[in-house]
Amino acid sequence: MTYPSGPQDNAPKQSKTKKVKTTKVVNGIEQEVEIEVEDVAGPEWGPRAALKVLDKELIRVDAPVKVSGRAVYTHDVRVPGMAWARLLLAPQPATKITKLDFSACSKVPGYLGHVVIEAEETRWLGQPVAAVAGATSEAAEDALRAIVLEYEALPFVLDRDSALKPDAPKVSRRGNQSKPQTRGDEAKAKAAIEAAPHKASGTYSVPVVHHACLETHGAVVDWRGGEEATVYCSSQHTFGFAGDAAKTLDLKSSAVTGIVEHMGGGFGSKFGFGQEGDAAAKLSKLLQRPVHLMLTRKDEFLMGGNRSGSHLELAGGMDANGALVGFTARAHKQGGIGDGSLSGLPYIYKCAEAWTEVSGVRTNMDSSRAMRAPGHPQASFATESLLDELAYAAGLDLVAVRKANLEDKVWHRQLDRVAKEIGWFEHPHRTQPGNAKAELCTGIGFAISRWGGGGGPACEVEVAIERDGSVTSSVGSQDLGTGVRTYVAAIPAEELGLPLSAVVARIGSTRLGNANGSGGSVTTASLAPAVKDAAYNARRAFAEVLAPLLGCAAAEVQFADGGVQTSAPGGKRLTWKQACAALPEAGLRAKGVWAAHLQGNGIHGAQAAKVEVDTLTGRVRVLHMVCMQDVGLCLNRAATRSQINGGMVQALGYALLEERVVDTALGLQLNPCLEDYKLPHSLEIPKMTVILDDEDTRGVIGVSEAPIVPGGAAIANAIHNACGARIRSLPCTPDKVLIALGKVS
Amino acid sequence: MSSQPGHPPEGLFPEPTRRDVLRTSATAAATGMVVPAMVSAQQTQATAPSTGAMETLQGEVAVELNVNGKNMALKVEPRTTLLDALRNRANPPLTGAKLVCDRGNCGACTMIVDDKLVYACLQLAVDMRGKRIRTVEGLSSSEGASNTAQLSPLQQSFCEHDASMCGFCTSGFVMAITHCLERKPDASLDDIKSACAGNACRCGTQPHIFEAALAIAKGGAK
Repeated sequence: MTYPSGPQDNAPKQSKTKKVKTTKVVNGIEQEVEIEVEDVAGPEWGPRAALKVLDKELIRVDAPVKVSGRAVYTHDVRVPGMAWARLLLAPQPATKITKLDFSACSKVPGYLGHVVIEAEETRWLGQPVAAVAGATSEAAEDALRAIVLEYEALPFVLDRDSALKPDAPKVSRRGNQSKPQTRGDEAKAKAAIEAAPHKASGTYSVPVVHHACLETHGAVVDWRGGEEATVYCSSQHTFGFAGDAAKTLDLKSSAVTGIVEHMGGGFGSKFGFGQEGDAAAKLSKLLQRPVHLMLTRKDEFLMGGNRSGSHLELAGGMDANGALVGFTARAHKQGGIGDGSLSGLPYIYKCAEAWTEVSGVRTNMDSSRAMRAPGHPQASFATESLLDELAYAAGLDLVAVRKANLEDKVWHRQLDRVAKEIGWFEHPHRTQPGNAKAELCTGIGFAISRWGGGGGPACEVEVAIERDGSVTSSVGSQDLGTGVRTYVAAIPAEELGLPLSAVVARIGSTRLGNANGSGGSVTTASLAPAVKDAAYNARRAFAEVLAPLLGCAAAEVQFADGGVQTSAPGGKRLTWKQACAALPEAGLRAKGVWAAHLQGNGIHGAQAAKVEVDTLTGRVRVLHMVCMQDVGLCLNRAATRSQINGGMVQALGYALLEERVVDTALGLQLNPCLEDYKLPHSLEIPKMTVILDDEDTRGVIGVSEAPIVPGGAAIANAIHNACGARIRSLPCTPDKVLIALGKVS
Repeated sequence: MSSQPGHPPEGLFPEPTRRDVLRTSATAAATGMVVPAMVSAQQTQATAPSTGAMETLQGEVAVELNVNGKNMALKVEPRTTLLDALRNRANPPLTGAKLVCDRGNCGACTMIVDDKLVYACLQLAVDMRGKRIRTVEGLSSSEGASNTAQLSPLQQSFCEHDASMCGFCTSGFVMAITHCLERKPDASLDDIKSACAGNACRCGTQPHIFEAALAIAKGGAK
C-alpha cells in the first residue's frame, strides 16, 4: 500500500468569521445590529497560538492509573466463577492429526472442559488445535499437558529457497508463490541503468519480525448462561469482536458488550476476535461460565502475528547530479501462509525509469499481519541502502543525493534539519565511507518516510454537560497507548474553555458511540474531528441556553478560562458551575461526527542515526537518533513525542536485534521467547531527538506508522558510513559486520 | 511422530515447566514439593520463619503473605508463583504486576521483596512467607479510586514526562527504578539504565522513563 504525500498547506488560514444580525438593547430600546461572529458553518481548530490545551504538553488522563498499577487490562479481568483456558498448538509446521484424546484430562483436578479447534490437518507451525479450561490457571496447564496428540508429520517448507524449489511441498492449494505483480518497463529501466555513469546492485533481505506486544492476544468471555454477555478483548477495534462472540454464543450481537478499557499494545496485530477469542467463547458456551484465555508468550510468538520478511534484488543507476535515472527490483515477500506486504519501489524517491516485480513466497508459518507501516520499513531499507551505494559511487553528499530525488520540499527542509541536529555538516566523511582502521568508528546515516494518516467518517461522539458542571466526552474507541483517551477529553476542554481535568473521557465500550479500528494511523484523523464537532455542538447549544442569562445573543457567548461571558465590553461573566446550573435536570448532550476540513493526509518524516562500530567485535552501538516529523495539528506534544520515540526504538530493534529464527529442517521456531527474541532494552537506547515540524498548518493527522519506517535504513547506512561495512541483510548483527569488514568469512 | 500421554511434544527444546522442576526436586512425593519447613500438612497455616528443617507441601496450601504492609491469607499450590498468587488468587486481585513472559525475561512483574528486586514470576508463593513483599499498588497511598490515589514522586514524574504509553510494562519499570532510587537517591543516567536493563518496553517509552527518573534523582540530590 502506498499513500500520496500531500504538500503541506503553508498558506495562513483565514479566520472564519461572518456577520450576523441580532437584537441588542441600547438605551432601553431594542435595535437590530450586525455583529461579527465565528462562522457557524462548522467547527475550526482556530489559530495555533490561541490554543490553551491542545498542541501543549499534556499529562495523559490515564497516566495515574497506569503508573499505580490500577489500570485493568483484559489480562487483568477477574469475574466470579471464571475459568482459565489454554491453547494446544500444532507442534510441527504441517501435520495430519491421527489422534486427539482428552480422556486423561478428566483425571486432572480442576479440569473443566475442552473444545477442538482443528481435528484433521494443520498447515502452519503453532496453528491452534484445541483449547482446555480449568478452575485455576495451574489446572488449565495440567489439562493441556494431559491431551494426547498424535500426528503424521507432513512435509513442509519454512524458508524462501526451499519453498521455490520445483519439488517443494505445497504450502497451500494456491501454491507456494503468488502471481508476480509488475510495474514499469523492464527493458527501459535496464537500459537507463546501463547508460548511467554510476551503477549499483545488490540483494537485500529483511527478516520476519514480531509485534511482541507485552499484553498477549486473548479475551475474557463473561457469559453465565443468560441473555447477555460481556466480552473483554485485547483488541485494536472495540467494535470488531462482539459480533463474532455473539455468533459463537448464539446471542444477538446487541446482547454482547465489547470492552477494551486498556490494552497492552497491538501494533497492527490485534484486529478481530482471533482463534483464541473464538476458543474462549466456545469454552464459555460449553461451560456456561466466564472464560479467561490469554496466549502464553510462546503462543504469542507462534500465532500472534509478525511483520513479513522480504528478499529484494535491486539495481540502480545514477547520473552525475545524483538523480536516480534507472531502477529495477525483483522482490519476494515472506508472509508465512499469507502473502506479506511491501510498499512500492523505489521507496518515495522518484525515478524516471523504474521496473518492479513483486510476489509473495509462502511457507508453513503463521500469516504475517499488519505491523506498524506494513511493507514500508522493508522497502525503505532496500531503497535507502541502494541510494547510499549509488551516492558513494558518484562521490556525492548523502543528504544532497536524497534531496536531488525528492520534489516535495518538506523533505528537503526535514533532511537539512536532522542533518544539522546529528552533526552531519561537521562529519569527516560525507561522500565516502570511513575505513575500519580505527577500533571504534563513527558514522551517520539518513532515511525518510511517508504515510497517509488521514481519516474518514466512522466515529460518533457525545459530549455531555451536566447541571453540576461535570463534562463527559464519550466514544467507543480504544486507546492502544497512543493517547486517544486524553485527546477525547482535551478537545472538549479546549472548546469549552476548561482545563483538561474538567472533562472525563469514556472510551473502550460498544455501549458508547461507534468508532473505527486503530490501524494505519487512521484513528486520530477519524476521531478527533468528531470529538471536535461534538464539543462544538455542545458549546453552541449551551450558548443558546446562556444567552438570555447573559443578556446577549448566543453568538456572543464566550467560553474561556473556566467560565462564560459575553463578548460585549463590561458584560456579565458566570463561573462554569453557575452557568451549568442553568441547564435542565437532564443536562445537555451533543453529538458529533467527522468533518473532513479538520484533518489532513500525507505526512513526511526524516531520520538520522549516528552509530559507533567496534571493528574488533563487530558490535554496533547507536549513539543518537533524530527524527523530524510533520503531524498536522499536534493534539498532545508529549504523547506525539512518545509515539515518535517509540517508532525509532522499534526501528533500532529492526536494525540490530530482531529476527524470527527458525530451524528449517526440524520445523521449529528457535526463539519464541523474550530472552532469545531480543527487544531493545534500556542499555541500547541512544540519545533521541524529536523535532515536530511546526511549519505544518494542516488539521490533525495520524502519526503512528511513519516514525518506525526510516530508522532501520538510517542505522544500516550509518554502519557503512562509519567503517565501510555494507550490510544488506537485517538485523546488522556483529557477525555480519565482521564478515562485511572481511575480518571473518 | 507422536507424543506420550500427558506430554504433548514440545519440539527440540522442551520448555521446562515449574511442575517438571518441582517433580525433579521433590523427593518425598511425586506431586509435592520440599521446602524449608513452615507448613507441616495441607491447609496448615504458617507464617513463622523457617527453622531449617525440610517439609513436603502438596495440594492446596494456605499461606499468609505480607504484601504492602498488610497480611494476606491465600490458598496456593506449592508451584504457584508469587505473581500468579497475587494476580489470580488474591481477593481482591493485585494485577499491577503483569504476566508477560513468565520466565524472568521482561521485568513486567518486578516486585521488591525484603528490599531486593525480584521477578515475581520466578518466585514461589510458598517461599515468600515471612517476607516483606512490595508491589506497585503499595507505592501510592490509596488503594481506592484510581485518580484520587496519592502517587509517589516517581509515579508522578512518570505522569509528567509521559513515560507510559500502553502501560503494560510501566509497573515493572516503576518498581525497578523505585528500588534504584531508594538505594541511590542521586542516581545517574547510567545507574537508571542499569536498574531497568531487565525491563522490556515495546512501545519505546524508555527515553521518557529516563527523563522521569532523572528528574526525581536530581531532586533527591539537592
